[in-house]
Amino acid sequence: MITLEKVWFTYTPNGPYLLLNLNLTINDGDYISVVGDNGSGKTTLMKLLLHSLAPSKGTIVSTFRKPVYVPQRFENLNTQFPITVYEVLNCYRKTLKIKEKDSIFHSLEQVNMCAYSQSLIGTLSGGQCQRIFIARALMGQPDVLILDEPSNGVDLKSQSEIYQIIKKINRSDKVTVISVEHNLKAAMENSTRIYHLSQGHGHFCSPEEYMQEYLLSNARSDRYAAL
Amino acid sequence: MLHYSFMQNAVLVAILLAILCPLIGMFLVLRRYSMIGDTLSHASLAGVAVGLVTNTNPIISSFLATSLFGIIIEILREHFKRYAELILVIVLSLSVGIAITIISAGAVHTNVEMYLFGSILTVSRSDLYTVLILSAISLATVAVLYHQLVFITFDEEGAKIAGIQTKLINYIFSVLVAATISVAIRIVGLLVISSLISLPVATALQIGKGFKLTLLFSILFSFIDIILGLMISFWINAAPGGVTALISVFLLVSTLLFKKLYFTSIAVTE
Repeated sequence: MITLEKVWFTYTPNGPYLLLNLNLTINDGDYISVVGDNGSGKTTLMKLLLHSLAPSKGTIVSTFRKPVYVPQRFENLNTQFPITVYEVLNCYRKTLKIKEKDSIFHSLEQVNMCAYSQSLIGTLSGGQCQRIFIARALMGQPDVLILDEPSNGVDLKSQSEIYQIIKKINRSDKVTVISVEHNLKAAMENSTRIYHLSQGHGHFCSPEEYMQEYLLSNARSDRYAAL
Repeated sequence: MLHYSFMQNAVLVAILLAILCPLIGMFLVLRRYSMIGDTLSHASLAGVAVGLVTNTNPIISSFLATSLFGIIIEILREHFKRYAELILVIVLSLSVGIAITIISAGAVHTNVEMYLFGSILTVSRSDLYTVLILSAISLATVAVLYHQLVFITFDEEGAKIAGIQTKLINYIFSVLVAATISVAIRIVGLLVISSLISLPVATALQIGKGFKLTLLFSILFSFIDIILGLMISFWINAAPGGVTALISVFLLVSTLLFKKLYFTSIAVTE
């Protein structure tokens, strides 16, 4: 379980605050999609949850011992980097000091990518690459999986494969999932709850409620566009 | 050729260099830091100059000075995040400034040329021991940190989140680069060290394999570069630095041509 209590955050000492007074609790076994416009603070919230940033005010209490992060696929990946899938997982295994070499193939099995262990990472498609990063995260036997737009740059067919894998990890392996989403369809279909961030404020809503809010705010911006 | 004792020393140092340079170069090139290697090798001239003036072993003094400049680069990187190349200009100004001032003021009574261009004749026994110790420590450090270095090079953000102390390792790595450069000064000279650090890696990247194989190929290529460089420079009586640099470029271009011809011939047969 992770609880944020009166959390404020700013990158510069005197504000402006990017996150304003967030209060939220994520329970064990939840599948939360964090949605909101660009610049609404989604990535900052992820970093707070990962402890790679500390809140400017307020407290974050977490009982999760092994949080892992799956980055956005196209963000930093150099497709010419000479490294095989096995090597990507192996340096992670060594870093976490996991003794069993089998853990590499075991986690590749979980994402149906065993056949690609000797492929170069740059030769994989967006969806395959995302599955490798999920496999890497699973090697640490996490209790919470934090994803940043897992379907970004991935074709439709692979998208559904990826969400099936994430859903299975959440439902069968009881791993809590927190996912930043631009993909509203995926957020509505897969998550148990949606956390909507807007201009630094946030609240939980059901997929249906979020749809209402989304339509309402779009109708408003359409009206502005008409003006 | 090998019955000259100076040549034996030179070949021994060359073999160590053939392993060490691409090993460090692999991480530098893949992190897009090849220019840092080049800057530090020029910066080592300041260390050589200080060593010659104070009568200390120039390998040791250049190692200390280059480590210091490497650490300065790491510190400045925090301040100039978006202008990494600016840092190199700052460090070059400082280091080459120190070197030129000392040398041009006439304080150095030895010939500086051999440190710029490299020389086979000057590798003494004591140099050999210094080089052996520095290489052994560097190789051992890379062996211990290998997987963490691969992780940081591939995905620095991910490495940080996985709990690797990336800052500390970056500092250690700067010192490793400094050690490699000071080891290489005697043979190839500081002007063209980066040809030995970057070019074998650039050649190996053309083969398109995983990390370990690319690394092994770059060691093979650097071995060819430096041994051929030593032999040819011995025969034509030129400084080994220039010849080695030329061979490394030649090897890269040949690989590129071979690759192009090979793939064209495959396309034709298909």
